[in-house]
Amino acid sequence: MSLFSSLSVSASGMAAQRERAALLVENIANAETTRTPEGGPYKRKDAIFSSASVASEFSSELDAQMQTGVKVTGISVDQRPPEKQYMPGHPDADADGYVATPRMNPAEDMVDLTSANRSYQANVAAISAVKDMIQKSIDLLR
Amino acid sequence: MIGDLGNSLERYMDTLSMRQKLVSSNIANADTPGYKTQDVDFQKAFQSALDGGTTQPVPVSGLATKNDGNNVDLDREARLLAENALRFSVATTLMKSQFSQIKEAIKEGGS
Repeated sequence: MSLFSSLSVSASGMAAQRERAALLVENIANAETTRTPEGGPYKRKDAIFSSASVASEFSSELDAQMQTGVKVTGISVDQRPPEKQYMPGHPDADADGYVATPRMNPAEDMVDLTSANRSYQANVAAISAVKDMIQKSIDLLR
Repeated sequence: MIGDLGNSLERYMDTLSMRQKLVSSNIANADTPGYKTQDVDFQKAFQSALDGGTTQPVPVSGLATKNDGNNVDLDREARLLAENALRFSVATTLMKSQFSQIKEAIKEGGS
């Protein structure tokens, strides 16, 4: 039951939040993209989080149970139909002059990005608190 | 040789690091849908650690559940994080003074 394993729990949280932030930034960058390799306009993506043990295979049963980290287990893709905008001159316009554009709400992505940022900071605070505790234990030997 | 107090302090620090791990887990899972805040009753956990047993974490009741079924309250976790670190600091200071007492006894005996 060492303090060092708490560090890997917080690290898993940081990694998951970073992955989420990367997807949100991708969404914002592609807010106007009308062409993708899969065809059609860009679709909004989001990370799916689930809790998972981050204990090493050599740790005890109780330890493994308590070491609940977080993992990104999938990426959800927005399945709503794209928004149609009337732009007859656009190269991707259909016969009626409508262009399929991503269904995107920039406010939603910005709010999620802020939330990912804050959660990342919370994990960093947890790491530094645990680091202080480890340092205190080391100081016992001085 | 370090005596009863040293032994109790060791168990106390063990219990604190176990709790700190639970707090870290709660913070890491602050955005995981369906995750429930885990904690231990500190008094009971410490008592059972003194008797050589272990304590299983339990879900905490009385917290507001969000729409995604998650009930992690970051303010609560931040408070516990700071509290655990302070308690740990008290324990290590006491432990250190135990060590210095023994050292003193050894030194004085030699002269």
